[in-house]
Amino acid sequence: MLLRIASHRATDAELGDVIEEYVAARRNAWWLVRQVLSIVRGPRSHLTISERGNEMFANVRNDIRYALRTFRRNPGFAAAAIAPIALGIGINTGVFSILNSVAWRSLPVPDAEELVSVYQDFRGGPRRLVYGARTLFSLPEYRTYRDQAHTLSGLIAYSREWTVTLGREVPQEVSGILVTCNYFDVLGLSPAIGTNFTADNCVRSGSPAVILSHALWKSAFGGDPHVLQRPIVLNGHDVTVVGVAAAGFDGIDMAKAAFFAPTSMASVLRPEQDLQDNAHISWLTLIGRRRDDVALSQARADLSLVASRIDQEQPGRTTSLIVEPAAALSLPPARRTVLRGASIVLVAFGLVLLIAAANVANMLLARAAARTKEIAIRVAVGATRARLIQQLFTESAIIAIAGAAGGSLLFWGFFEALLPALLASLPDGQLVRVDATPDRTVLWFALGLTVATALAFGLMPALQGSKSDVHAMMKQAGMAAKGGRGLLRGTLIGAQIALCTMLLIPAGLLSRALYAAHTFDPGFDHRNVAVVSIALRGPRYENGNGAIFHEQWVDRVSALPGVERIAMAGRIPLHPGRSQATVRIAGDPEEHVVDVNTVSPDFFSVLGIPILRGRVFTSGEQDAALVTESTARRYWPGADAIGQIITSGKQRRHVVGIVRDARVSQAPDAASSYLYLPASRDSQREISVLARTRGDVQGFATAVRAETARMDGSLVVRVQPLSDNLAVLQTLSQIAAGVAALLSLLALGLAAIGVYGVVAYVVTRRRREVGIRMALGATVSDMRRLILAQTLRPVAAGLAIGIAIAAAAARLLQSVLFGVSPFDPIAYLGTPLMMTAVATFATWLPTRRALRSDPVTTLRSE
Amino acid sequence: MAGREHLGEFEQIVLLAILRLGQEAYGVPIRIEIERRTGRAVTVGALYRTLDRLEDKGYISSAFSQPTPERGGRSKRYFTVRPRGLRTLRASRQALSAMWEGLEPLVLGGS
Repeated sequence: MLLRIASHRATDAELGDVIEEYVAARRNAWWLVRQVLSIVRGPRSHLTISERGNEMFANVRNDIRYALRTFRRNPGFAAAAIAPIALGIGINTGVFSILNSVAWRSLPVPDAEELVSVYQDFRGGPRRLVYGARTLFSLPEYRTYRDQAHTLSGLIAYSREWTVTLGREVPQEVSGILVTCNYFDVLGLSPAIGTNFTADNCVRSGSPAVILSHALWKSAFGGDPHVLQRPIVLNGHDVTVVGVAAAGFDGIDMAKAAFFAPTSMASVLRPEQDLQDNAHISWLTLIGRRRDDVALSQARADLSLVASRIDQEQPGRTTSLIVEPAAALSLPPARRTVLRGASIVLVAFGLVLLIAAANVANMLLARAAARTKEIAIRVAVGATRARLIQQLFTESAIIAIAGAAGGSLLFWGFFEALLPALLASLPDGQLVRVDATPDRTVLWFALGLTVATALAFGLMPALQGSKSDVHAMMKQAGMAAKGGRGLLRGTLIGAQIALCTMLLIPAGLLSRALYAAHTFDPGFDHRNVAVVSIALRGPRYENGNGAIFHEQWVDRVSALPGVERIAMAGRIPLHPGRSQATVRIAGDPEEHVVDVNTVSPDFFSVLGIPILRGRVFTSGEQDAALVTESTARRYWPGADAIGQIITSGKQRRHVVGIVRDARVSQAPDAASSYLYLPASRDSQREISVLARTRGDVQGFATAVRAETARMDGSLVVRVQPLSDNLAVLQTLSQIAAGVAALLSLLALGLAAIGVYGVVAYVVTRRRREVGIRMALGATVSDMRRLILAQTLRPVAAGLAIGIAIAAAAARLLQSVLFGVSPFDPIAYLGTPLMMTAVATFATWLPTRRALRSDPVTTLRSE
Repeated sequence: MAGREHLGEFEQIVLLAILRLGQEAYGVPIRIEIERRTGRAVTVGALYRTLDRLEDKGYISSAFSQPTPERGGRSKRYFTVRPRGLRTLRASRQALSAMWEGLEPLVLGGS
């Protein structure tokens, strides 16, 4: 006892030395590891660690050596076990690192862990205008939080996605953010050249100022250091550049910001909206910096107190705040969507890892069975069960660690190179900031995954393999092992098939969706139709001038040679997003939510959508509406829709015509409740028109640009073929189906290997039984049928379970399944058929081999 | 029989380091002293193996101090050279000097 205390204190003193020096001399982690290892290693004259611990260390060392020797002797086994695990861990870590970079990684500014993002979720209170999302704040609200929060050393606000026209002679569109004056100070950044905003820049009537991003300074101004001395043009206004942000800083969102302007610039850039002093507008995100000694929960409580004060001033309003560590993607609804999507992907990739783990478990089980003799001897000479489990599990741990190491190599080697290429292939991908270099969170994830994988495939075989009835085993070694282990193997096959089905059915659905997107008839003619968009920004288009320009511009574009017809639409067909309205139908007490599009009368002829009955609007007619045929059937079954009355708020409209259904919205359920309402040429600033042209789009685009430039040279004109919208859909389904196909091929291959391995093993072990049966008169085909039937039983069970889970999960995929039902029969019938075929083949192959040798010889040999 | 006992080179170095440090001879300064004077990196584990051996042979003795927070609440183990250690050290030195006698020009003299 005394000795143990003394030895304990001796080790303590050594560890104390290590700690003292590590802290005082700022040694690195590698030094620490080496020193600690040097303490626990080697024979000691003193018992520095307790006997038991020492023995365990020695055992672990022996086990590792033993396992490595076994792997060296059987490199095929090691490679077959390690490769799929490496693939699984590498891919999963890669996917997670992308998610981490947007959802959890701290922002690229000094002391980023102190930053919190603040959003509000509220009910009641006065009517509120929303720009972006309801969870955003108004400027007066921001000021209240800034002045009353005690737990923050600073609070900033910013507004995303301000697309403006830069320049006059050669205009270009750039997207930046509006920020409060303290933005750079609170984030702890200073401009690379120039200065921060001054107080004068930030008051409402102050001089317009902007800070450029380093990237925009380089691309638009060639890195000219004199940019500070002369004004630049934003939306037709002269604006002073006060500074250029540090290289590489593009704001703290996922979308890169090209410039930073004070919030007071809102009234310069968009004078038609009064954002400044209105307390009931949602447009700002808040980011606070916690004081050194303040925990996240304290900051939450403090800010909630301020929120409740605001609630008291606005009767009926209840606010709850969402205060989280700041990350690139913090806006709550977007964050929810991304997390949900990413978890589907992670689960899918995780399933592949599970299938791979099940294969390794299978291999280990088979090996454990083949090693019954060795284990029996070990037990006979005194090994305990715990000792055996430790030894068997060490092997699994080594496979998992080697797999993780291989996975990391895969990740660093390919994934980081792949990511920029992937981003570049997406529309606007180069405007997105994703930093997927691994940080601590990613390392923890990879470590956790490795441990979980090791447990998943190592624990069961270790427990099974270490079950030891010496007597029985010594006698039985080499003979058929039946019973418990057979059941376990059946379960493994079933589980693999179930996992595989869960992946294959969604993959089948996605490839059906891809096929649908390529062969899809939207019900309108998208060929030779161009979408032309302009945004009227700046002082020229204020006070009703915008509407006049709009009218003239449309007239001049339709008069261009090559233009057959032109139409206006509030929503461009197959563009993402939808406009919805709540309407009442005469004679129906219920309110209905319908999709609406405001269009000009020519919309239907430009797109070739036939009017089935009735007529289109006449120009200037405001109280009319058209419905699609399935909308008519839905709301007025058995009655004539024409002449019926639809009310929305105070506006009453007659249905004047019925048009054929067309897939104009990406939302799958839109066609059956769709209204076309007359467009008015109002003071809209963002204008899109659809033009049916005779010639090619390029020629038309040149003509439109030239004509528009004759009216105002500072306008940016975007011209795109309408079929591009279809192409976006096709690209999306292509990526989704491609990833799914790759995953399911991997899963199917792994599952086939699994079935093959188990069957091959079982038939070899059962040669004795087969020999007896055949000696008693069974034929080869009898045997084949018997083995097949026994294998296909767990396969069938696995299929049933897999189909049930896939069907339950398929609804999650609905948003990407364009034109295919989540219960598409072809996917649900085809997948099990293919799986059964693969399983049959994987059974047949080893069975044939096993039955070729003469079973009687096998019998004699025992 | 102390005089006949053999001291390894590293054992001598460790004993000398303890003598040099006097009252302050515990793990960290001993290691630093050795590293500084010999330019040789020594791991904590290797040092303590030697210290334990020297204590077993009765050349040094050790005592634990009160635990301190900068060491994660662990004690320091201070070492002192016992007379027996001093005697062996002296014997080693004499043996070495005897062997060195007259060889300096040959080994150290260069050219």
